[in-house]
Amino acid sequence: MPLKLKTKDKHIKKLAEIVNGPKSILYLKEDLLAYDCDGFTIHRHMPKAVVFPKNTEEVAAIVKYCASHNLPFLARGAGTGLSGGAIPINEEVIISLVRMKRLVHVDLENRRAVVEPGFVNLKLTNSISEKGYYYAPDPSSQYCCTIGGNVAENAGGAHCLKYGVTTNHILGLEVVLPNGEIIEISSDGIPDAPGYDLLGLLTGSEGTLGIVTKITVRILKNPEAKQTVLAYFDKVSDGSYAVSDIISAGIVPAALEMMDKIAIEGVEAASFPVGHPKDIAALLLIEVDGIEAGIDEQIKEILEVCKKRNVREVKVAQNEQERARWWANRKTGFGAMGAISPDYLVQDGVIPRSKLPEVLERINQVSEEVGLRIANIFHAGDGNLHPLVLFDSRKPGETEKALKAGTACLKACADVGGSITGEHGVGIEKMEEMRFVFNEEEIQAQTAIREVFNPKNLLNAGKIFPSPGRCVEIKKEMKATSVKSEEKLLEFS
Amino acid sequence: MVLKENDVKNEPACTTTSLSNYLWSDAPDENKWADCVHCGMCLEACPTYELTGQEQHSPRGRVHLIQSVAEGKLEVNEQFMDPVNQCLDCRACTTACPADVDVGGLIEEARGQIRQAMPLKGWKGMVSKLFLEELFPYPNRMNSFGGLLKFYQKSGVQNLVRKTRLINIMPSHLVEMEAVMPEIKVPVRKLFKNEEVIKAKGTEKGTVSFLTGCIMDVMFSDINESTINVLTHNGHNVSIPKKQTCCGALHVHAGDRETGRKLAKQNIEAFKDADKVIVNAAGCGCMLKDYPELFREDAEWKEKAEVFAAKVEDVSKYVHDNGYEKPKSEIKTRLTYHDACHLAHGQGIREEPRKILLDIPGVEMVHMPNSDRCCGSAGIYNITNPEMAGAVLERKMENVPDDVDMISMGNPGCMLQMAIGVEKYGRSQQVVHTIQLLDWAYKKDAEKEKSNKGGEK
Amino acid sequence: MVVKEFISELRTAFPDVEMEQAQTNCDLGNNGYVHVYPKSEDEIVTILQYANEHGKKIVVQGNGSKKGFGGEKETADILLSLSKYKGIVEHGAGDMTVTVKSGTSFQELQEFLSEYKQQVSLDPSWPKYASIGGVIASNDSGPKRLGYGSARDAVIGLRIIYPDGTIIRSGGKVVKNVAGYDMNKMYIGSMGTLGVFTEVTLKLRPLPKKESVVLISFPEGSFEDIHAFAVKILDSMMEPVSLEFLNPSLAQKLIGKKQFTLAISFEDVESSVDYQVKMIQDMKPDQTTLSILLDNEELQSFWNQLYSISPNGVEGNLETKETEACLKVGVKNLSVLNVIRDGQMLQDSHNLVVTAHGGLGHGICQLNLKGAREDVASVITNLCQIVGRLKGYVIIKHAPLSLRQEINVWGDKPTYLFLMEGIKSKIDPNHVLNEKRFLGGI
Repeated sequence: MPLKLKTKDKHIKKLAEIVNGPKSILYLKEDLLAYDCDGFTIHRHMPKAVVFPKNTEEVAAIVKYCASHNLPFLARGAGTGLSGGAIPINEEVIISLVRMKRLVHVDLENRRAVVEPGFVNLKLTNSISEKGYYYAPDPSSQYCCTIGGNVAENAGGAHCLKYGVTTNHILGLEVVLPNGEIIEISSDGIPDAPGYDLLGLLTGSEGTLGIVTKITVRILKNPEAKQTVLAYFDKVSDGSYAVSDIISAGIVPAALEMMDKIAIEGVEAASFPVGHPKDIAALLLIEVDGIEAGIDEQIKEILEVCKKRNVREVKVAQNEQERARWWANRKTGFGAMGAISPDYLVQDGVIPRSKLPEVLERINQVSEEVGLRIANIFHAGDGNLHPLVLFDSRKPGETEKALKAGTACLKACADVGGSITGEHGVGIEKMEEMRFVFNEEEIQAQTAIREVFNPKNLLNAGKIFPSPGRCVEIKKEMKATSVKSEEKLLEFS
Repeated sequence: MVLKENDVKNEPACTTTSLSNYLWSDAPDENKWADCVHCGMCLEACPTYELTGQEQHSPRGRVHLIQSVAEGKLEVNEQFMDPVNQCLDCRACTTACPADVDVGGLIEEARGQIRQAMPLKGWKGMVSKLFLEELFPYPNRMNSFGGLLKFYQKSGVQNLVRKTRLINIMPSHLVEMEAVMPEIKVPVRKLFKNEEVIKAKGTEKGTVSFLTGCIMDVMFSDINESTINVLTHNGHNVSIPKKQTCCGALHVHAGDRETGRKLAKQNIEAFKDADKVIVNAAGCGCMLKDYPELFREDAEWKEKAEVFAAKVEDVSKYVHDNGYEKPKSEIKTRLTYHDACHLAHGQGIREEPRKILLDIPGVEMVHMPNSDRCCGSAGIYNITNPEMAGAVLERKMENVPDDVDMISMGNPGCMLQMAIGVEKYGRSQQVVHTIQLLDWAYKKDAEKEKSNKGGEK
Repeated sequence: MVVKEFISELRTAFPDVEMEQAQTNCDLGNNGYVHVYPKSEDEIVTILQYANEHGKKIVVQGNGSKKGFGGEKETADILLSLSKYKGIVEHGAGDMTVTVKSGTSFQELQEFLSEYKQQVSLDPSWPKYASIGGVIASNDSGPKRLGYGSARDAVIGLRIIYPDGTIIRSGGKVVKNVAGYDMNKMYIGSMGTLGVFTEVTLKLRPLPKKESVVLISFPEGSFEDIHAFAVKILDSMMEPVSLEFLNPSLAQKLIGKKQFTLAISFEDVESSVDYQVKMIQDMKPDQTTLSILLDNEELQSFWNQLYSISPNGVEGNLETKETEACLKVGVKNLSVLNVIRDGQMLQDSHNLVVTAHGGLGHGICQLNLKGAREDVASVITNLCQIVGRLKGYVIIKHAPLSLRQEINVWGDKPTYLFLMEGIKSKIDPNHVLNEKRFLGGI
């Protein structure tokens, strides 16, 4: 039956047929505009259309159609990614997976659950918490981000220090390959399937190798007890040393988070203030979980370390409400920057823990050099920094400055043997910075893998890897167009 | 009528940055969207995003679109209107937002622009005009309308309509609403029209002024009575300023900010001498507190509005904060509590009503999952966007526990909508206002005392 | 003769590289006419380039403990041994990371780290022989996987030489890293078919302050009780590091009890370990016997024995007439019970010894078979059927070459094998490295 559509575009008509109806496709400018970026807003581009498949078969049919008509396409979850992985820079057909949001199966005995990609991260924990189980990876956006997106980005979170990131919790995947073929890898969730670890390769491939349509994840038993400590320091370096000392003491905290002065100013001005003193230089939020009998010992040790490092005030959460308040304050930290700055750019460098004081100092210098404030909210325990460069895109030149500052922060991380991204992914944001950590051969080794999965490069092209030789040009162009977003950016393919 | 206000400009007042496609004054405020960093924390809080999964029906998507019009990328047209009008204005996103972005304010401002660019047409326009322009602002008309409804119920016409299946030709959501229409009683404004101040019982704590609300007083006058009873029972004199009018929430939600301002001014004047303005309808309370926002381009009235807004308090919070007698009589019931959007998200009132309910002996409270999810009432949303409202209601009803006798809440719009839900999904719960339940318990106390005294004699 | 010419050619090409003509022979295959022992990365690069350009085939090994794992050939041209490429490259004690040359034995590495009260949280078989490179390339894991995960959870960086001599670094030195594809994962468990690891960077954990193993032996025929007990433990708040199920033959070897036995181990601060041991004591099912290993020596000896029950490629068994094989079986967690039980039944119905254990919290089992060749072969076939019904897989980790040529070591080809073939041909188009040693003849 022909559908009533306000377009003559034959591709859109055909795609609408595949997803069975006008309510499952967007193609008008006003609707598409809401899809011109994800959580990375500096660069924007309009998609050709957005389709909302209901099941794997529809995804496969869409992909087959796109592949056979050479239409670029990409998958999108909640669109909370921070590196621009879901931005349609090639005027892609966006395959939105948010309507595939079933919790397919829970197997508590074998500690696994099967979800569709649009299932929201926190909902999984909420669905099993009554039985005493939870899903460990907890990106700050877990309230709204999808597990499909988590797989694409190999999302981390505050509690990854002890429990690992998404890839450590993925047991099986159903994937639609870029040619439309559906494959199942370890769908029963049995580890170490014979052959190369495609699960590991797909997880964190930022949606460039395939589209995940079903995910088997590991679920964990709730720890018997949790204790959370909040420590205020007058010197950033004291806080940093305390981090190292805690780890060196042989404690594996569930989380070890740090915020600096500007960050504290932000969260205190926003929706979930805790009442942190305004004049402290840094705070640590430390959580220990496990067997109740063993926790007090560790907390005692943590308190001692803090004291040794000149802590001004240190307290243990007295109840679940207090703990929840501390965490809400921390987890909404990025968004909270909106309260003190119109725009922010968040970076995601990782460094060896021992280099914390050195790198934080360097970031401080960068801030002074470019003349923009930089807040730091980060996972100190695993050395995963999040410098938040505060700027106002309405002021001419500030966006460019912010980008420059971001790059300089990443360079500082790479220079001490770190990485340019710990959990946000490269996307379009950090393509050029890939060169800080990989040489040409190493980048080629990775694109060779993409060629195996995605030979026509129609799926989410132009992400992660800088094009050989053209990268500088692209970066320049990107910076220019980031202000005038209507212009077409790149002619990848 | 509306356009006579002096701050209205007939011609488009182009702003200094000529890019903007908002052509009238009072355009969406740039500073409001500047706070939005597109983080997406609002997505899952939004009922329309939950149902559609589409960004343009999400808070950050709407903010993005509203901003895009100002940047000249979009025009104010039908396609833009759809996502803006589909918003329930439930403010859940504001609660979820780490940066406190005032999405509701932006939506209302954008609706103001839409309303002027594209006047409502057709059936929706008619309904909207009838209720918003011709009825709600006029207490006497509301009374007559109430009278009509009363006549409709008492005269047998209601029966006739139902029996003759005349009802079958009414739009389905109106049928649903008709089915649960509360029995119309005498409005309190009529009831107490000769009393300057309704005197407190026992020791006097002071005098509060009461906003009776337009629909509230006609369709839910018993709740207004309960409110007065509870206030006087706890030592508060109650005055009902005569010049008060509809709060304007429905107008502002619908984009008719001019009428909104007009009503606001009237209320600000009417309550000029009040120390405290007590409201028992969350939607109204929220609107009154938002008056300053309506006058952001009028410094003089903005100041007045701020003074006024500071005096506004929801009855549950007021009663809770100022101490109240805990009833002794038992009301044996299992109930669940629904957080009205404009109470929980709009005014941050969550715990107070629950505490009041739990202080009534015999009340057992059952947790409602997602209790602060919108029920779909949202002013006259259920009249103008029946399809979405129905879907939102369905989700809401899924969360209402099966084994409760009552659903309690603090907003008449929600009560009507929830009653529709109960009826439509074959449930059995009674829908009550929090304050009503407290009043019933007091009444029981009084009866007991009476009979005890009787017994002693 | 040909070999002699070949070695002299090699000697001319690489005058500084230590090499020898193959001496001993065993029945495991995966040999090389010439054994070379590079001591630097440069040497490895040039040898690989040479082979790639001259159409030579290379078998890669550490100390040879996994010689019997995969591969259908008696010998390749060159056996590249990394046994002399060893040592710690960098240890960031404060960062809890270590970079180590791939030929370093697992035991050496742990001994080095224990000085700093740190460890690599893996527990592979034969730590004294197994090189870290080999452990990673074969993705070997042990009972403590439940608590600490496997190689894919511990490795944060690799340095790998492609057959064309390109040096590729994957991952890095930091514990969290999503820059580019997670190439580490692809290399882990790739059986040396993609490149030669030269350096491995691992994240470390503190050595536990206290360790304890509780052993509960069940009477015959109490399978439902075992299942129920395991579920109870898994559903409790306890955090065992391993929950390993041992079959009677193995339990007899380890603790002298010929009974199905659960080995539950705890590692944590003292109060926590004591508390959990007490909990287990309190929930001990009737008619079971319980013993606790507490002192260090007992614990050491228990684990050492468990890690050395499988056959290895170093201590050849040419003298014994019996055939030895080792299987890795993967199933859903609780199906481990079925696999171990059926393994024991097969021992009884066939005339051979099956020592077996499997983790109820992670689903990986190890079954060691020893007996007449036909019996071993028949038991493998039987097990494959049983495991197939449980939707799991069987991998032959160790078997004589002749048996490997007969029975498919890696099981059925998956539908997506073409992706793996694609990967292999991108990286090693000439099939220089470990030819046919992997799934689907890769």
